Amino acid sequence: MTRFLDNVAMALGTLRANPLRSLLTLLGIVIGAGTVVAMMSLTEGLRLKVTTDFAMLGPGTFQVQKWPAPGTFGHRDWRKYEQRRPITREQGEGLRGLPHVRLVSIEEYPNRPEIVATREKATRRNVEVGGVLPDYLEANGVAIADGRFITDGDVALGRRVVVLGPDVADLLFPGRSPLGEEVRLRGVPFEVIGVGQRQGSILGLRSKDAWAMMPWPAYEVAFGRNANNNVALVANTPEDMPKAIDEVVTRLRRLRGLSPGDENDFDYYTNESATETLDQLISMIGAATFGVCALALLVGGIGIMNIMLVSVTERTREIGVRKALGARRGRILAQFLFEAVTLSALGGLLGVLLGAGVAVGLREVMSVPTSIPAWAVLLSLFTACGAGLLFGIYPAARASRLDPVEAMRTE
Amino acid sequence: MTDTHEPLISIDRLARHYFVGGETVRALDGVSFDIRHGEWVAIVGQSGSGKSTLMNLLGCLDTATSGTYRLNGADVETLSDDQLADLRNKEIGFVFQTFQLLPRASALANVELPLIYRGVSRKERRATAEQALRSVGLANRMHHRPNELSGGQRQRVAIARALVGEPSLLLADEPTGNLDSQTGEEIVRLFGELNARGHTIILVTHEPRLAARCPRAIKLMDGRVLGDGPGAEVAALQGPRAVGT
Repeated sequence: MTRFLDNVAMALGTLRANPLRSLLTLLGIVIGAGTVVAMMSLTEGLRLKVTTDFAMLGPGTFQVQKWPAPGTFGHRDWRKYEQRRPITREQGEGLRGLPHVRLVSIEEYPNRPEIVATREKATRRNVEVGGVLPDYLEANGVAIADGRFITDGDVALGRRVVVLGPDVADLLFPGRSPLGEEVRLRGVPFEVIGVGQRQGSILGLRSKDAWAMMPWPAYEVAFGRNANNNVALVANTPEDMPKAIDEVVTRLRRLRGLSPGDENDFDYYTNESATETLDQLISMIGAATFGVCALALLVGGIGIMNIMLVSVTERTREIGVRKALGARRGRILAQFLFEAVTLSALGGLLGVLLGAGVAVGLREVMSVPTSIPAWAVLLSLFTACGAGLLFGIYPAARASRLDPVEAMRTE
Repeated sequence: MTDTHEPLISIDRLARHYFVGGETVRALDGVSFDIRHGEWVAIVGQSGSGKSTLMNLLGCLDTATSGTYRLNGADVETLSDDQLADLRNKEIGFVFQTFQLLPRASALANVELPLIYRGVSRKERRATAEQALRSVGLANRMHHRPNELSGGQRQRVAIARALVGEPSLLLADEPTGNLDSQTGEEIVRLFGELNARGHTIILVTHEPRLAARCPRAIKLMDGRVLGDGPGAEVAALQGPRAVGT
């Protein structure tokens, strides 16, 4: 322990003797470690945000539909989806009663966003509307802030009622409760019975709160009956989801008359699959960042080696004296290795602070979602120390091999 | 053998040859003598006489080409580099002409150095080093750096550093060479006191006047012993080449 403290004290003493030179030497390490922390904070923040923002279904839920899952990128053969037969309400009903499926929410949507209006005001054409059943609420992870959601009675009696997303409610009824008020969709009047809880937006781009849901029969008065339906299914438990998916796929294939060799003519997705593609993209950014950082750390390491060689040359006499006074080779080696590692650890620390500062700054000033992952901080520090150790070996070995008589003779 | 006490230093036909550009330089060419505990011996000779080579060998900083060197019971020529380092740390206190203090370290830190390599705890190290500095009269200069000290003070720091580990041998290489005559005189007197307290001292010098003040002197010329005896007599010896010029 005494030896460890002695080495650290000696290393810090050298840093204090040449503060500016030490700082300049560290620049490579600082930039490398800083980039790791900043970039990883950015991608981690993005990943967290994507996971919550794209969570459009409730827990343990998956959705079956004709169209591909939202959140997928890349080339799609849209004609293929166009030509698929619709998923009918009867097929949806046929999915009830499977052993691992608890709820079946059959939902119908028009082809595009709609306008919701009162006598005085109207929304833009950006409201997602749908004809749904009471199970919609749980299957889509929606909560009610005010009033109530659609009930079986609303469906059975064909009541013309609507539940609004908070964006719609706030726009049409600013500062007051919309409950019991009348809104119109495609000219058909509906009574507002509830308002949903705010869910925020997808990466700040698209609001998840601009919606209006009606019971089936009332929806069909305004929009007509849709041939195609989306079916959201809730497994008994989240762990049961794979089994539930198997059961649903098998049953739906039979209901749609597919032969064993046929491809599925429908898609299904979960919250996880919706974010998979984005996760891949983020991972690619991460890998690229690592490349940049590895390079910066290499440059930084060479900087450390250079300065350590200079340091050994400058202190040849000191090394000679230390050896004459009884320092073994290992002690000299350890002293210079410690110095290199202390130097690079300091660089790593400065880099982490810099990167964290950038991450916090982006979040506070520009509202970019960032989250500093602990592993990125540790990784930066360890790699910086590793670079110091690796590139410090050669100068330290050179110092330890000096001949004391020769070394003391140099000026 | 009638002698029950082994001498501190015993060298026998010690030689050190350098091979430079295909030629052999016999810097030291078969030197033998013993030094007992408590002696104060000058090794004197002109530059090129081999006294620096001998001093490096005696200081375990260099190893001989042939011959044997026993220091306090250890056969020096059989030891590894690390063992030599340990031996220097334990047995030898160096005092150099150019002081060889670490410029960025305080007097106290300089004196602590040998104890660091002995693994002494910080607390004990500090106390021992302070004691050593007090013993050479630098009680109120402990936290000064070498460039804040006079030449004589620097050499006292170096002597404190040499003494701090209680070595069996004090090896001084031209300790007064960089000092004015008055300060040099103080340092020589300090050596006298240390010798009176029982320290064994080897003083390497080119000055016959300094050698003459030591109880014993060994005069080297061309890598061989020219004379070995009381300081005043040996210092006055003239080499064969000097005769008649």
